[in-house]
Amino acid sequence: MRYFKLPDLGEGLQEAEIVEWHIKPGDEVEEDQIILSVETAKAIVDLPSPQKGQVLALFGAAGDQVHVGEPLLEYAGAADDDKGTVVGEVKSGSKEVEVDQFIIGGSSARDSSRTLATPLIKSLARRLNVDLAQVKGSGRNGMITADDVEKSAQVKHDFGDAFTLKGVRRVMAKNMALAHAEVVGVTIHDDVDLHAWAKGEDITMRLVRSIGVACLAEPNLNAWFDGNNLALRPISRVDLGIAVDTPDGLFVPVLRDVANRKPADLRKGLDNLRAAVQARKIPPAEMTGATITLSNFGTIAGRYSNPVVMPPMIAILGAGRIRKELVVDGDGTAVHAMLPLSLTFDHRAVSGGEAARFLAAVMRDIALK
Amino acid sequence: MALKEEKSSDKHAKSKIEPAGSTHVVTLVEAVNLALRRAMRDSPEVIILGEDVGLNGGVFRATEGLKAEFGYKRVLDTPLAESLIAGISVGMATQGMRPVAEIQFMGFIYAAVEHILCHAARMRNRTRGRLSCPMVIRAPFGGGIHAPEHHSESTEAMFAHIPGLRVVIPSSPTRAYGLLLSAIQDPDPVLFLEPKRIYRMVRQQVEDDGQGLPLDTCFTLRQGQDITLVSWGAMVHETLLAAKQLASEGIEAEVIDVATISPLDMETIIQSVEKTGRCVIIQEAARSGGIGSEISARISEEALLYLQAPVRRVTGWDTPMPYPKNEHLYMPSVEDIIDAVRTTLEGV
Amino acid sequence: MKENSMTDNLDQQADRISFIDRDGNAVRELPDTVDVDWLRQSYRHMVLIRALDKKAVALQRTGQMSTYPSCLGQEAVGTGIGMAMQDEDIFVPYYRDQATQTLRGVTLHQILQTWGGDERGNVFEGVAKKDLPLCIPIANQMSHAAGVAVALKSRGIRQAVVTTIGDGGTSRGDFYESLNLAGVWQLPLVTVINNNQWAISVPRSSQTGTRTLAQKAVAAGIEGVQVDGNDVVAVYHAVEQALHKARCGKGSTLIEAVTYRLSDHTTADDATRYREASQVSQAWEYEPVKRLQTWLHANKHWDPDREQALLREVQQEVDDAVAAYLQQAPQQPDDFMRYVYEEMNHSLQEQRAELLEKHGRQKEDSHGT
Repeated sequence: MRYFKLPDLGEGLQEAEIVEWHIKPGDEVEEDQIILSVETAKAIVDLPSPQKGQVLALFGAAGDQVHVGEPLLEYAGAADDDKGTVVGEVKSGSKEVEVDQFIIGGSSARDSSRTLATPLIKSLARRLNVDLAQVKGSGRNGMITADDVEKSAQVKHDFGDAFTLKGVRRVMAKNMALAHAEVVGVTIHDDVDLHAWAKGEDITMRLVRSIGVACLAEPNLNAWFDGNNLALRPISRVDLGIAVDTPDGLFVPVLRDVANRKPADLRKGLDNLRAAVQARKIPPAEMTGATITLSNFGTIAGRYSNPVVMPPMIAILGAGRIRKELVVDGDGTAVHAMLPLSLTFDHRAVSGGEAARFLAAVMRDIALK
Repeated sequence: MALKEEKSSDKHAKSKIEPAGSTHVVTLVEAVNLALRRAMRDSPEVIILGEDVGLNGGVFRATEGLKAEFGYKRVLDTPLAESLIAGISVGMATQGMRPVAEIQFMGFIYAAVEHILCHAARMRNRTRGRLSCPMVIRAPFGGGIHAPEHHSESTEAMFAHIPGLRVVIPSSPTRAYGLLLSAIQDPDPVLFLEPKRIYRMVRQQVEDDGQGLPLDTCFTLRQGQDITLVSWGAMVHETLLAAKQLASEGIEAEVIDVATISPLDMETIIQSVEKTGRCVIIQEAARSGGIGSEISARISEEALLYLQAPVRRVTGWDTPMPYPKNEHLYMPSVEDIIDAVRTTLEGV
Repeated sequence: MKENSMTDNLDQQADRISFIDRDGNAVRELPDTVDVDWLRQSYRHMVLIRALDKKAVALQRTGQMSTYPSCLGQEAVGTGIGMAMQDEDIFVPYYRDQATQTLRGVTLHQILQTWGGDERGNVFEGVAKKDLPLCIPIANQMSHAAGVAVALKSRGIRQAVVTTIGDGGTSRGDFYESLNLAGVWQLPLVTVINNNQWAISVPRSSQTGTRTLAQKAVAAGIEGVQVDGNDVVAVYHAVEQALHKARCGKGSTLIEAVTYRLSDHTTADDATRYREASQVSQAWEYEPVKRLQTWLHANKHWDPDREQALLREVQQEVDDAVAAYLQQAPQQPDDFMRYVYEEMNHSLQEQRAELLEKHGRQKEDSHGT
């Protein structure tokens, strides 16, 4: 402590007279060392120092009256007796230094995908077993009203449940809508005469090969198109997206660099991709970066189609079901196998001529033995 | 010049006068002292006034050493008259000074309300901007220090209801420094309420760089996606403790320190509620008519559709603060906050 | 309840300062600065204020102005103060200071605006730029004035603050607290009490037990002076002396100007409910304007022709101000929101948008207000 005050001398004595100081300012004193003698009404009392320290100042000289509690002596360099308040007790915490962590303002962007409905509507929906995610709000700012919920419940009752598209189906729905909005698709249909083919040809591999060949002839169809900046990027390597149908939906894994690989290698690669897709083990990276697409729906049914170009690609070749057809052969007729083809191209990026020449190149290659 | 020059010794007002711009490890009340010193060094118009602020350095030592450094003309020990302290601050401020007045405890501010409400908050409006009132009134507030009656007030809502006044409440040393600097520089009157229970509770490293923190903005102290906890003042301490405990149970709470309780930054709070869908507001003040009620009403207006459960408030009771023996029955606790969170998470 | 000892207060007291008595006779030599031009200027101003005052009451009675506090009979108090103040002194009024404010550059139009309920009346220019606006809560202005005096003294500016208060206001805490501070800090503050004998319906004798109001200076440790408030020279002299003293750093003065409120408290008051008509007519006998007119006539510095010319002149000035007031364009609907803070916060901006949607912005008129 900083000050030594006259202690309670007992027996209700409130004051004393200083008789003699035994130390002076500057002295070092030890605990319990006698520093002062005072005289009370009853006796002369020697006062010891309550602590070790250096004497800074003395208050009062011999002959002075001092009262209990009055400061007599100040120690040098001692901690303050300051309680730091005038009422109550303001506690000090630990000596540990804390780091103040804070962000000015808010921590994250708004989540705008929430369903907007009041608690009342939410409980109504629960009662009627309606999934609010499927209900379109007719209220202000898209808010869902009680009416909306009841109509939805009625539809469900009359016509059965709807299920919200998820996963691959959901992605397909979104992508197709986007593609439709952006792409100016034109489709050219034609048939290829397969009579030169040997038995047991790998149809898919012939299609793959023909696309590689056609890309050499008309490179602009193996390209990406930036519709915003109107920029066409022809790509030297042909990475072919191949549409694969599964119970879960449409997958389009990518067969890389088809123009420069041998058929056996391509076949193995395609089988691996297919297997991975079926097993739902295909990494996302294997489904990105396609430069042109093949949709061989003919394995199921269908002749011609308008397959959808998925930006940033600009072309997709659809192959329908092979059929036997009566054709004109020289002066007579014959029955030939015919493979229907549909080429959709984005007319923003390439001309009809370029597309037609591409298709012609495809057909020439497929028609070969 | 006799603005009452003190003749008695200034030995108790000694301070370690340090060079500007250094880093200090300080408690909240020491951060207030640091900010006052910085403001006085940087702007000659800043004057400190109040009871016991000069020679004694303030009863909580918030103005320790300032008179020794800046002299009796800039640190004024006023007579005992709270109404007068606020009134002369108004007069001084209209003439371009920046008075920073101390009301010793919020319990004694009521005599000054007339000048705060009728004049400080209205001078700019009344004169269409010709005169303004850039003054700050600082007052220790809040309970929990076992003090006698009137020394534990939390009536900040009364002042939040006054248009033209700002009410700012820090909850950490760093933010006390930054917010007080901004309050002093603000062109309009600010009531700066200092939660005395946490005056010395925590030490932080504060850079004495003269940089203020923005007013009218909340601070997000902890991010989380399960529930938003909103508080201010000393209760922020309990709220953070509750959040820590909840985290060990896998509940991640987002903690927001309101700081400027008027005008409110609802954008930060709404943004958080839209993310979490749940909110608990924690205030030491009495339940009815408090800031919690205002925040709750605004959430209801602007984010009802995002709520998964009602907004709950953890508050003091609608009673005066009990005398020290029963103080613990009044003050909201960490358990109270956790209970409210659990109830909220149980849903509608 | 104390009996109305009105006459007690208005009797010529030995220590009450007076130059021109109630009969218009000079009882002592006039101060050097008070020459004929000064007297005619003061007379002119009192006549002008009385004309404005009369017109303002009429406007209120015809519903074109809100409640207005007449200063009838008290013109000498305000004029004496205004003539004594220097440009760089600062004036902190209560609410019956039309005479002083108009001597400091506040226009007649602004007086009408303020009581017509338009804050633009507080946008003082020129000399009054730092003056405070009028103060409705009783006695608060005294603390503000003390604060202004602290500001002046702090900055070492050798100017002074004048503040005014009614007899009723001297009962309020702010009065004592401010004077006390002025005494202990030796502030350059001059306080003038407009003792017009009435605080609405409460007579002066019921307001306090002291014989004079000036003697309350003793409690504050400052000089207290009583003057005949209907003698513009006496008021001027006392204020001028006090200002000089204040500017020299010699401290604060309390001046009690003894006068009579010849009108109702405000246009909303009916004084016949609480005071005798006979007392009022008696008070008219020693009102300030007539007594100065008497002196000017007697000393051959005035005549009926000049009187008529003056009356026409002030009437024109008043009529011009009234016309400007009646024709002024209203404020923009959001003006009362724009000055709550220096910058509108987010919430207030939203509210402003709401308000403007409801009320729209007024068309700007040729005055551009």
